[in-house]
Amino acid sequence: MKLVIGNKNYSSWSFRPWIAMKTLGIPFEEILIPFGAPLGNPDFRTRLTAYTPAGLVPVLIDGDVHVWETLAIMEYLAEKFPEKQLWPADTKARAHARAISSEMHAGFLALRGECPVNLRRPIRERALPEAARANVARVDAMWSDCRARYGGPFLFGAFCAADAMYAPMVARLNTYGIKVGREALVYMEAMMALPAWAEWRTGALAETWIVPEDEADWPTVLSA
Amino acid sequence: MKLVIGNKNYSSWSFRPWIAMRVAGLTFDEEVISLYVEGSREQILKHSPGGKVPILIDGGTHVWESLAILEYLAEAFPSAGIWPSDRAARTHARAISTEMHAGFAALREECGMSFWRPPERRALSADALANIARIQEIWTSARARYGAGGPFLFGKFTAADAMYAPIVQRFATYQVDVSAPVKAYMQAMTALPGWQEWRGAALRETWVIPKFEYDWPQVKRLPAEAA
Repeated sequence: MKLVIGNKNYSSWSFRPWIAMKTLGIPFEEILIPFGAPLGNPDFRTRLTAYTPAGLVPVLIDGDVHVWETLAIMEYLAEKFPEKQLWPADTKARAHARAISSEMHAGFLALRGECPVNLRRPIRERALPEAARANVARVDAMWSDCRARYGGPFLFGAFCAADAMYAPMVARLNTYGIKVGREALVYMEAMMALPAWAEWRTGALAETWIVPEDEADWPTVLSA
Repeated sequence: MKLVIGNKNYSSWSFRPWIAMRVAGLTFDEEVISLYVEGSREQILKHSPGGKVPILIDGGTHVWESLAILEYLAEAFPSAGIWPSDRAARTHARAISTEMHAGFAALREECGMSFWRPPERRALSADALANIARIQEIWTSARARYGAGGPFLFGKFTAADAMYAPIVQRFATYQVDVSAPVKAYMQAMTALPGWQEWRGAALRETWVIPKFEYDWPQVKRLPAEAA
């Protein structure tokens, strides 16, 4: 299997299936196509079209099956590797995991707009407008609720696709120094302690592409 | 089972699991919450911490988010044909359903779903037109690859059709120019008995949401008898 991804420093969507597959021990080969941007790679779309009609990363390639869209990739992996437990085994927990994963998939636009994933940016607090603060409150409550219900260390006990869906959110809350409750903080620490997290972060920090749209302090580029 | 939904005229998200369940022949009660009025948010939060409709309630299990509801139904009713049975087709169906779930923002913003709005063309942005082109490509390629067994995206009606049902209504309401195969697909969708049932109920609703009425304070609407 091959996973086509974008820049590790910025591509929140690419991070999700990547960390899921690494953490759950599903072998794959990675194909990294940096985003098109003035200072990046202008032929991103052209190169990506070879892999997916939708023109977005990530894309999973398994033989002649091309799967695009993160959640569809998770479902594909869940069916293909039932022993890897992409989703929790319990029906009710699984429905809950899918609900919050979908909520992530289409939601939290204000927070995502204000706080782009940018792993090389040093931790620096950022003031947020009300809509983004409401997003933070929902995420904080959701994580605390999951940890209380299922016991941690991850949202549903063992690491699953829902954690992968929220991995970029962990990175955002951390990078922009956003205040969350104790339970959420403990969860973030568990996520950032994953070996796969460190591996992705190392890859991100080695990148030199700059994408102005994802630099919250532009024209300043903060770098660790 | 109970499905908690919003206004049938406007709530595109509610329409998706509702029509999937109707077409699949699943039995359920519905609770309709009038959206964007005093108390509606509290009413939704009683059922789901996500604060949004639709919500499926099955015994003690509350499932929110359309896609999660469809996955739940697919597992609970494996013979209902919620997803295509062929793996490649199912994977494709999930990819395009997810693309719908988080995409096409410009089109959704400029062409809000409204069953009672009389059909009329509307000037659209380049982004919305690009959304329309991509959707037509999605429908046409799914039909060409997997649609041989019937008039829907994967032949028989599946969750992917349910996910795109509100787009079919938007194309019809705003008289979007479409290709002949796309038109045929739209006709198959709007001819579904479940579609007609939802549309009839939408046209009879009296709850008006000003921010979804482009001509506010004027409310252009088809008479309930048009259903």
